[in-house]
Amino acid sequence: MIFWRRKTHETELDEELRTHLSMAAQTRMERGVDPEEAERAARGEFGNVGLVKEATRDAWGGRWLGDLLDDTRYGLRMLGKNPGFTAVAMLTLALGIGSNTAVFSLIDALLLRSLAVPAPRELVHISFGPPGTKGPLSGPMFDRLRERQSAFTDLFAWKNGPMVLTEKDAARPITGAYATGSAFPTLKLKPRLGRLLNWQDDEPDASSNGIAAVISEAFWIEHFGGDPRVLGQPITVDGGTATIVGVMPRSFNGITVDYAPQVVLPFAFDVALRGKSSCRFRASCWFHAMGRLKPGLGFAQARANLSTIAGDVLKESLPSNYERVDYLRKGILSLTPGRTGNSPLGEVYGRELWTLQALVGLLMIICCANLASLELSRTLNRQHELVVRSALGAGRLRLVRQLVAESAILAFAGATAGIVLSQWMSALLVGYIEQSDFPVFLDLRPDTATLAATIALATLTVILTGALPALTLTRVHTEEMLRSGAQRTVARKRHPFAASLLPVQVALSLLLASLALLFAISTGKLLRMDPGFRVKGITLFGVDFERRPEKSEARLDLHRRMLEALRQAPGVEAASVIAARPLGDGGMDESAAPVEGNGPESRHLFENVVGPGYFQTAGTQVLAGREFSQFDRLGATPVCILNEAAASFFFPRQSALGKHVRSTEPNAARATCEVIAVVADAKYLSLREPAPPTIYYPYEQLPSFNWVGFITRSHDTSAAVAAFKNALSRLAPDTPLLPPITMQRQLEDSIGKERLTAALSLFFGGLALLLTSIGLYGLESQRVAQRTAEIGLRMALGAQGKDMLWFILREAGVVFAIGVPIGLALTFAASHFIGALLYEISPLDPRIHFVTVLILLGAGFLASFIPARRAMSVDPMVALRYE
Amino acid sequence: MPEKKERYQNRIELLQGTLDLLILQTLQWGPQHGYGISVAIRNRSGEILQVDTGSLYPALHRLEKQRWIKAEWKVSENKQRAKYYRLTAAGKKQLSRELSKWSQLSDAMAGVLNPDET
Repeated sequence: MIFWRRKTHETELDEELRTHLSMAAQTRMERGVDPEEAERAARGEFGNVGLVKEATRDAWGGRWLGDLLDDTRYGLRMLGKNPGFTAVAMLTLALGIGSNTAVFSLIDALLLRSLAVPAPRELVHISFGPPGTKGPLSGPMFDRLRERQSAFTDLFAWKNGPMVLTEKDAARPITGAYATGSAFPTLKLKPRLGRLLNWQDDEPDASSNGIAAVISEAFWIEHFGGDPRVLGQPITVDGGTATIVGVMPRSFNGITVDYAPQVVLPFAFDVALRGKSSCRFRASCWFHAMGRLKPGLGFAQARANLSTIAGDVLKESLPSNYERVDYLRKGILSLTPGRTGNSPLGEVYGRELWTLQALVGLLMIICCANLASLELSRTLNRQHELVVRSALGAGRLRLVRQLVAESAILAFAGATAGIVLSQWMSALLVGYIEQSDFPVFLDLRPDTATLAATIALATLTVILTGALPALTLTRVHTEEMLRSGAQRTVARKRHPFAASLLPVQVALSLLLASLALLFAISTGKLLRMDPGFRVKGITLFGVDFERRPEKSEARLDLHRRMLEALRQAPGVEAASVIAARPLGDGGMDESAAPVEGNGPESRHLFENVVGPGYFQTAGTQVLAGREFSQFDRLGATPVCILNEAAASFFFPRQSALGKHVRSTEPNAARATCEVIAVVADAKYLSLREPAPPTIYYPYEQLPSFNWVGFITRSHDTSAAVAAFKNALSRLAPDTPLLPPITMQRQLEDSIGKERLTAALSLFFGGLALLLTSIGLYGLESQRVAQRTAEIGLRMALGAQGKDMLWFILREAGVVFAIGVPIGLALTFAASHFIGALLYEISPLDPRIHFVTVLILLGAGFLASFIPARRAMSVDPMVALRYE
Repeated sequence: MPEKKERYQNRIELLQGTLDLLILQTLQWGPQHGYGISVAIRNRSGEILQVDTGSLYPALHRLEKQRWIKAEWKVSENKQRAKYYRLTAAGKKQLSRELSKWSQLSDAMAGVLNPDET
């Protein structure tokens, strides 16, 4: 049946049946029956007009479409009639689906999504490192491996890194990557424009005819306006010039999921720039390596092939002193699947994200339970309507379909709102994950996997909340109910399904709330602890003087002039130089031993290189001695400073001042140094770990050491940033300004995982509590409404208001008496998994659980007290008369 | 209501598909509207076959969809606009097919029910 012709058919059917009736009446009248009687008899013979129409419409076919529209229209009207229910249900769904989609899309982007290349399952990562680690390969290692391997069609090496783009004398940081010529052919990537890099581009003599570069589509559009004439244009990066030969497709953002290189250059570019000292040839410079398995070759065979050649490869490629370096001595080559590319963020956040996914999964269960009880209580209240409709000729299936249609509308609206909400929540999530040094690139477009997951969720919700109550409720006995007349009597039968949902909700809410509290307290402890340095007012600046003409002594002088300029700038209270940022990504280490006494031999130490006045600037207490001054230069006595942990290790129960420490590193630049101070312990890489034994060296005594940054203390961060910009533009004008970072942000970044988990679990825990309260409130309100007559009768017979209060609260009490023990048991079961995520708090801490149970009971009491109050104020006369 | 009672007593459940045959057969004598068809079947069956409107109209619309009958609005003898159904060429062929099927069926039924008469 063509849809638009339905209406004509409908009126024709009407007329046809009307004609039938009037003809039947006419015949009777001709036989002498009086008109009224004739009409009645004709109707009686005809039967139920509605049913006849229904049956006839069935014969038209294409019925479902019209019914679907009817159901939808009717469903919309019913939802609109009950805006309170609709709003709560939609919000519940949107929050449930939104948070699930947000967390899942992050998991999808970081851990699940395949690289956008053909046959990504053939890709593998090849890594080097002590067993269990997945470290990168050195250039020589990669070359030897590539020569000997037979399991892969080819291998490639890739190195991400920030680069500096120079245009018309202005320099700005961009994201870049170096790749071997084999990279794009191995990935089998097709260009968006022009061509991609190949082996010829990476030949040693490639520089003679200009080095090729490819750019990302985003960079092409943003920077070159999407102009196809970009091909053949020169681009100046890191002081060298290359020619753009192609644009990468939009879907490909490098092999690292959270880093999208704007420019990809062949390693030949670095070789042309730095010659023999290029990272490509150094045994201590590391790349990410991947390969593509030969077609038909399994992962296990490739692993076997690798193990036969690994020994020779390592022997030929490791530096001669490898025996003395733990990492190299224990290192082995290993293979891991490379379908999803490389995901450092995923490795860091994986456990937290799956934990969050479990939490939002539980939240979704609460949402569904809540929706189901809401839907159920609404259906109960509509039972009279359902009975009337079935008496008017609606089949049972038709009624179920109607109820399911309403749920489907809700699910669809909720899913749409949820997806919109999830976009916003994802951005929030990424904000937590993001480190400040360089913006995290994450492709969070909801892809098919995410959309499929959302649709699956919504469908599940529909089935759980719409179809189940519908099935149980449409099993109604029409006549019995119509005869009894009052809808109240019908609905009085308690529904076990609804009653069994609430304790589950209570249990899950208790679990979520406990976890939230645990994560929040643990993170609060981390945030409030004393890291051993000031946090407020400290700003850290990175600099890149690599391309300045000043070398060695002149470079030191440039640093000194920068420091002087900073110190004299208005608003800057103190300034110094620092190499390894506290709580930053990287650190330095060193093995050293004391010279004097018979203390322990060698000890692994963390190392930092700082300038004069560093401890005063950073606010680390100098416990004994003096800190580095401007006179601790090359030529003066080599000096160093130990923190308390290192000093008490090397020189237990004696003063370390004036003692000497010697480096036990192979080919160490400095032999021994005199300890001139002991400073308070300060956290180094992580807030969670105790401050490690640390040794500090003055940077002016290390002539070849030139990668330091600046640290300032000021009342106002913007004053320090302005001072730094000013000093840089005056003293080193062509140097790119790297984004500065406050110590506060650095600290927050370093516990990003904990903050993420805490903030989200608090949010989800609160949500769970709210939803459960709404569920309880709904159930009790409905109960009071249904039993108004009974309550009125009891009160007429002499029951007091407080008896009625107790009558209602008792049921809530039963819900909690079942739910709380289950919740506690679940929490104890979960404690096993979350213990490792917590800092200085036991997941079994009874105080936490006591507080959560109290909060939950409070919320539960509040939610059932309001309906109970209503029960107390029932006027017996009114209630009885109504019935 | 004597009429209603009688109706239920004399009612014979029509076999699946026989209603179609009855309708097609009735229309062989000329175009007729729904009410006319139900009256004709009742009269010709000696008041035994009562066609339920809830079966008649779906059957009519189904047959129309299969193009065995065709409907058009005409004015009846009582000057009333009514929807008349008439047999199409395809309907005639279908009728003869159904008729031969029916006589086979009734012969077979008779054979089973009265074995000695054959």
